[in-house]
Parts: sequence; C-alpha cells; structure tokens
Amino acid sequence: MLKKIILVSLFIAVTAFPAFALDGAKLLAQVDRNLNPESYEMYRKLINIEPDGRKKEFTLFSIKKGQDKIAALFLAPASDKGRSTLRLGDNMWLFIPNVGKPIRITSLQSVVGGVFNNADIMNLDYSAEYNVERISDDAGNYLLLLKAKTKTVAYDRLKMWVDKSRKLPTKIECLTEANMLIKTLYFKDHKDFGGGIVRPAVIETDSPLYKGYKSVMIFAKIKKRTFKDEVFTLTFMPNLESLR
Amino acid sequence: MKRLCLAFIFVFWMNLAASAHAEEQYTFDPAETEKKPYHFGGYVEAKPILFGLDKDASLYKLKFYNRNEGKTVEEYDFKLQLEGSYETDISRIYVKTNTDYKHSYLGDDERSSFYEGYLTLKPSPSLKMNAGKKTFKWGKGYAWNPVAFIDKPKDPDDPELAQEGFIAASADYIKSFDGPLKTISFTPVAFPVYDHINDDFGRNNNLNFAGKLYFLLYDTDIDLIVFTGGSKTTRYGADFSRNITTNLEIHGEYAYIRDYQKNFIDSNGKSYLDEYDAQSYLVGIRYLTEIDTTYIFEYYHNGTGFTKDEMKNYYSFINKGYYSYLNTGSDSLLQKAANLTETNYGRINPMRNYLYLRVSQKEPFDILYLTPAITAIWNVDTSSCSLSPEIVYTRFTNVELRMKAIFLIGGKESEFGEKQNDYRIEFRAGYYF
Repeated sequence: MLKKIILVSLFIAVTAFPAFALDGAKLLAQVDRNLNPESYEMYRKLINIEPDGRKKEFTLFSIKKGQDKIAALFLAPASDKGRSTLRLGDNMWLFIPNVGKPIRITSLQSVVGGVFNNADIMNLDYSAEYNVERISDDAGNYLLLLKAKTKTVAYDRLKMWVDKSRKLPTKIECLTEANMLIKTLYFKDHKDFGGGIVRPAVIETDSPLYKGYKSVMIFAKIKKRTFKDEVFTLTFMPNLESLR
Repeated sequence: MKRLCLAFIFVFWMNLAASAHAEEQYTFDPAETEKKPYHFGGYVEAKPILFGLDKDASLYKLKFYNRNEGKTVEEYDFKLQLEGSYETDISRIYVKTNTDYKHSYLGDDERSSFYEGYLTLKPSPSLKMNAGKKTFKWGKGYAWNPVAFIDKPKDPDDPELAQEGFIAASADYIKSFDGPLKTISFTPVAFPVYDHINDDFGRNNNLNFAGKLYFLLYDTDIDLIVFTGGSKTTRYGADFSRNITTNLEIHGEYAYIRDYQKNFIDSNGKSYLDEYDAQSYLVGIRYLTEIDTTYIFEYYHNGTGFTKDEMKNYYSFINKGYYSYLNTGSDSLLQKAANLTETNYGRINPMRNYLYLRVSQKEPFDILYLTPAITAIWNVDTSSCSLSPEIVYTRFTNVELRMKAIFLIGGKESEFGEKQNDYRIEFRAGYYF
C-alpha cells in the first residue's frame, strides 16, 4: 500500500510539474543564446531618467567574444566620446582619452551614473556567472533562482522570470546574499534584429536604492561577428573605433 | 575681463536652461551610429580663481617682493581644446591643440600649442605603429607615476587633466593566450631629443629608446619598463594593478634610476651636485563601499626628491634674498632663487614622501550626477598638507561644473606652509562639443 502511494505521488509530481524536470543549466544557456550570439557587435543607447522626466543619454558600440570578453566604446555624448570599457572575466578597465591609460574599475561602480552599474553595461552570459538553484512555475513563466558562482559577481542572487515559449527573460530581480533587492530589470519590446536574433529591444531598470529614477537600455543593431582575441586587450582599448 | 567672464557664464547658463527644459521623447535612430571617416570635437572652459595670499611664506616673498597685491588676487583662465581625426583603411591621423588664456594681476597671457598630433598605422589588430607627438601615460598610480619616464609629470591636484605629449615613434604588438597568461604586449619607443624636438626633456642631440612589456597574468596587470639614451640616465620600472574583490583594487609602481644627478643649494645659495642611484615607488588602493563612497589612497616615495634639510636651505636662501632686497634694494639673490625654483625646486611635489587620500561620494541623497569629494595630499617629511574639497555636477549633457577650494596647511619651512597661497577657490565650467 505504501509503495502504491509513493508511486502515485511521484507520478502526479512529474506530470503536474514538468518544469521541475527541466535542466536549469540548459535553459539558462538557451536564454543566453536567445539574448545574444556568443560573439557579436551591438549598438546601444543608455538613458538615465530622473523623477522629473529629465534625461541623460549615452550611445555605445559594444563587442563580445566567447564567455568572458566584452568591450564597449562611447560614441556620444561629446563629453564621453572615445571612452572605452573592457571586461575580461572578473577584470574591468576604463579608458578615458584625457587620462590616456586604462584604469581598473570594479563591477559595482558605474561609468554612466544612474541605475545601471558596470556589471549591467558589460554583462557576460548569465550561465557564465550563475548556477541555477531552482526552477518553478510562476504565472506562465519559468522562475529561475540563480546563485553566483563566485564572490566576485556583482549580484549574489538573481530571480529570473523566463517566457516559456520564447525562452527569453521578462524580468530579473538582482539581490544581495541577504536577499535584499538591489534593482529590477524589465525586458520589453521584442524585435527582429535579423540573422535569427529576436529579442527584447528595451531593458528598463529601477531600484529601491534610487527611488523615482529609471534607466533604460535600447538596442539598435545586434549582429554576429567574430574578433581576434587581441582586440580585447588594454593596449587595444584606444583603438576600438577602428572596429566599427 | 570681468564682463567677458560674466558674458560667458550668462551664455553658459542660458544653454543649460534650454537643455534642462527639453522634454523630447527618447529615441534611437540607427543613423546616430553611422561612422564617418573624420571627427571634429573640442572642449571650452572658463575658470575664475581667487587666491588668498600668505604674506609670511617664502614663495610669496620670492614672487611678490616688489609689489603689494593685497590679501587676495584674482585670476580668470580660459581654455580651448580642439581635436580632429581622419581615418582611412589602416591609417588614422589625430591632432589635438590647446590654447590657454590667462588674465591675472600680471596682465594677459596666451599660450597655444599642439598637445598631440600623430599618424597611426594599424595593419592588424595585433600590430599598431605611431609616429608624431603623443602622450604615453605609463604607470598605474592615480596621483603620481614614478615609472612614466617619457611623459610630463602630472598634477596630483588634477590628475585627469589633458597633457602635452612628446614627439616619438612607437609600436604596439599584442598577443593573447588562453590560460593564466592572457595577454602580452610590447611597446618599443624611439625618442629623439634635438633642437626644437623634445628639447625640454633632457640633454640635446640624442636618440633615446624606451620600452614597455605588458602582461595580464593571473588577473594582474604587470608592466616592465625601461628608458635609455643620452638625454637622461638609464632607468628601469615595473608596475602592477589587480582587483582583489568587486570593490577593491590595489596597484603599485617601482622605478630605479641609475646615476641620478641632483642639484641643490645650501642656505647661502652655493650649488652642490649629488649623484646616486635613485629608487622611487608607489603603492595604492582604490576601494568602493556599499554606499558608493570611493577611497583612493596612495603612498609615494620620491627617490629623486629633496630632503627636509635641502628644502630648508632653499627657503633660507629665499629669505636671505628677501631681506637683502629690503636692506639694499638689490634683488640679485631673489633672481637666482627664482631661477632655481623654475628649473629645480619648483617641480610638483619636490620632496621625498607623500600620502594621498581622495574620498568621493557618488550621488549623495540620490542626487544623480553630483559628486562631492575631498582630497588630501600630505607631505610626510614636513607634516604639511593641501586639503581640497570639491563638488562636481555633470547633470547637463556635455557640461561639467566644478567648485573647488584648496587649503594649504603647514608651518615654517614646510612644503605647503611655504607656498605663496593660504587658499585658492575656483569655479570651473567646461563644455564638450
């Protein structure tokens, strides 16, 4: 009798909650690939919006290769033009033309001010930085609870809501180790960028730490492109413009 | 001049007001990302300054011995920097000019120069060659760079200020790897010093060579640096920088200068020459707290600097010259002291041991783009310091506003106590275009 109860219970559990049978790591990797090709070039605009509606905008050209190499060049405004950032794994640098040399920066700083920090602007694949702790079903989305692989990752925990059909995130909550909410990212406006890339064209973020403020990231062009490793080096940072 | 300054500020604020009330929707037109082969831009700045004079200080006596300008003097500085580039295929030409216009109690002064102007050839992502006038900016320190052998010394009060370069030919060769050694790059530099070519660098009629070997090894930036040639004695350097955690970076520099020649005087103005192998080094950290406060702390040992006694003799000589002038009307000793100041003692931070601390708070009270900061430069040898509170506001696109004060604190015969000013208050309005 006891065996029957256990078997029936297992059967109900497996059939009623198929999400639990999903491989979290595979799903997260799929989300990464749906968001971006593994190596790409991209144009983005970052907009910081103050509570009274005033805005400040930055235009960036970004390139990425593999799991841990990403670089970005500021195209506008004039005060930031020529600045570039580079990330190699946990290492981050900022090059300011006037300063003339790359200086190390940290993931929690922000080179643009506003709600986005450096980790948001130079984000690697989620699967490169996080393990999936748990998957559940939440109002038609998968809800992934992610835990940082190392202490050097900007947010210790993420709660990621993933659209079941598109396998793309709709919302991500960024949390500290003590589960304090740092910011929320909202993924909006799905767009076909060509080359099979269909993904949200807008990411909005707000934060209880910046009440009333909002930052927006708008994507204009994303396309697959491969680069030599040498362009992701400190020495190359002043020359990123030549890749456009 | 005051009218010119007021007119500049009026136009500036009108511009700000217009941009502040622009309420257009945000858009991203792909045309904004189109690349043009040429680029033209620039920076214009107005900076009124008020100096509070220290009439007891040696450097005040040296500069103001024959004039009385009262307790304070005003100065109005204007700066215009223009830059342009043109790029085709593998080549790029870049030019940057700088014009400084100063109106002070000494009258009007205007200086224009090419800060940079060079040709770059980049046949592949691994290889780049430059020829012309450019800055190199070697070293990892924020306030000082003892290994920056082929750059002009930067001002620790304003380390991010654009600087004038030197004429040189250089190349960068980069190689990337998988594993703990991620990058190697090599930068050889040919550095000529002849009449009208880098003639303020060192001894003339020499072709010097410098080189930098960079490694990214175990997530640590490491540079090995050398300079040799007849214009200055041979010197070797090394530096490193590493992120320890997501909010803590450490860095350091070490320079070994062979046969360094130091000229100094006794209290009577008699000159002496000391030759020795000098060692300079710097260690520092950059730390970001959870509430976005950034601390930059550095210790700098300047092996080429003057000792406390050598500086004491220099100040004594100035005072001797001053009293000689008061008694005889002859300023010959003061002229000699002024010449020594310009060529030797007047360099930025001329002594041996310094501490630097900068604390900046990003966007306090949720006020975006506002960054208050305070900077202290402490002369360890003479227990004197400069203390600089400032507020930077970058809310308006392409505009940077900065209010800064510098207080110089120190007793007799101390570096900061003997400077000509007690304090300095300045407002800087800059616009990028």
